Amino acid sequence: MWQGSGMLLQTLEIFLIAISAGVFGSMLGLGGGIIIVPVLTLLFDLPMRTAVAASTVSIIATSTGAAVAFLQDRLTNTRVAIWLEMGTATGALTGALIAGYLNQRFLYVLFGLLLAYSGYNMFKTRKNELPEGVLPDRLSQKLQLQGSYTDRQLGKRIDYQVTGTIAGLIVMYFSGIAAGLLGIGAGIFKVPAMDQIMRIPFKASTATSNFMIGVTAASGAVVYFARGDVKPMIAGPVVLGVLLGAILGAKLMVRLKSSTIRKLFIPVIIYTAFEMIYRGLK
Amino acid sequence: MTIHDPELQPPSPHEPIELTLARLLRIGSLISAVLIAAGIGVMLLGNEAVATRLVTAGLLALLATPIMRVITAGLIFVREKDWRFACFCLVVICALAAGILLGQGHGG
Repeated sequence: MWQGSGMLLQTLEIFLIAISAGVFGSMLGLGGGIIIVPVLTLLFDLPMRTAVAASTVSIIATSTGAAVAFLQDRLTNTRVAIWLEMGTATGALTGALIAGYLNQRFLYVLFGLLLAYSGYNMFKTRKNELPEGVLPDRLSQKLQLQGSYTDRQLGKRIDYQVTGTIAGLIVMYFSGIAAGLLGIGAGIFKVPAMDQIMRIPFKASTATSNFMIGVTAASGAVVYFARGDVKPMIAGPVVLGVLLGAILGAKLMVRLKSSTIRKLFIPVIIYTAFEMIYRGLK
Repeated sequence: MTIHDPELQPPSPHEPIELTLARLLRIGSLISAVLIAAGIGVMLLGNEAVATRLVTAGLLALLATPIMRVITAGLIFVREKDWRFACFCLVVICALAAGILLGQGHGG
């Protein structure tokens, strides 16, 4: 396809853009597909299938690269992650099963409105650094979902409780359906669910979302691989860049305030909400 | 009966699950990065066939990492006799496996 210096230049460009997608995705607990897919299709004129496949593999890179730092800082709540992964994994499976029976346009509008609503809620709580007065429900106590981490920005240990255990699982199930059906929303539904329903501190929410997205993406990526949609010379530089970016982003994120990360998240969720509603209505 | 108050539980003789999983993820990403970087290096030398194979190996290593992570977490919970969370991991593994099989059926 490409020869000599042209190919080298393209590899380098993809690599550099991937670094920024890795920084951005790891800080916000997202996959970074919001950057990778449009860049590969619009800037590099690659087919949608190739772009989506490369983006799915890169979600694993974001997750794996950043999780090392988040786990060491105990920002990731592994018990919450495993509990919720049951919802995302079975949801993704349901999504794949019912694909074709449901009107995709309707789903885009529905999930778009849901995101708009949680974006609005997030905006209302934009000044809150940490959730206050959270009472754990019985299941949360039984499963020992509570967590604690040392916040490098605030310079103190944060102990927190988790609530909305069942409601969180149900939302994760639907977010899994959205991922399985529409191939979108690695982290964009997970972060607000943990933040607003389960009342987990924002940094722990994005770190836990980051930890989870790799697992759902892995099953999708296996399928893309089997279909031959993963083009090594495109996905390779994307993964390398995203890995590097995610490691840098994680180091930066642990030094930021929760409210700062929330403020960065709000425009992304609003943009995604409008984009999805537009896709459903156009 | 299990005791749910963490204060009353005996401290685990093993390292915390977070550190084990962090090490696993670091090894996975390192292997993947080295293979992909080597592949891109070989491509610059002009051997495209070998380059493609190296990069593909790197991508597969990356892909296997999260799946290994769920399996490892499940094994840690079994070792700690935390049957409830071991079951949760099993549910995740089964759903992933079913999704992969189903997806391949569609694509094939």
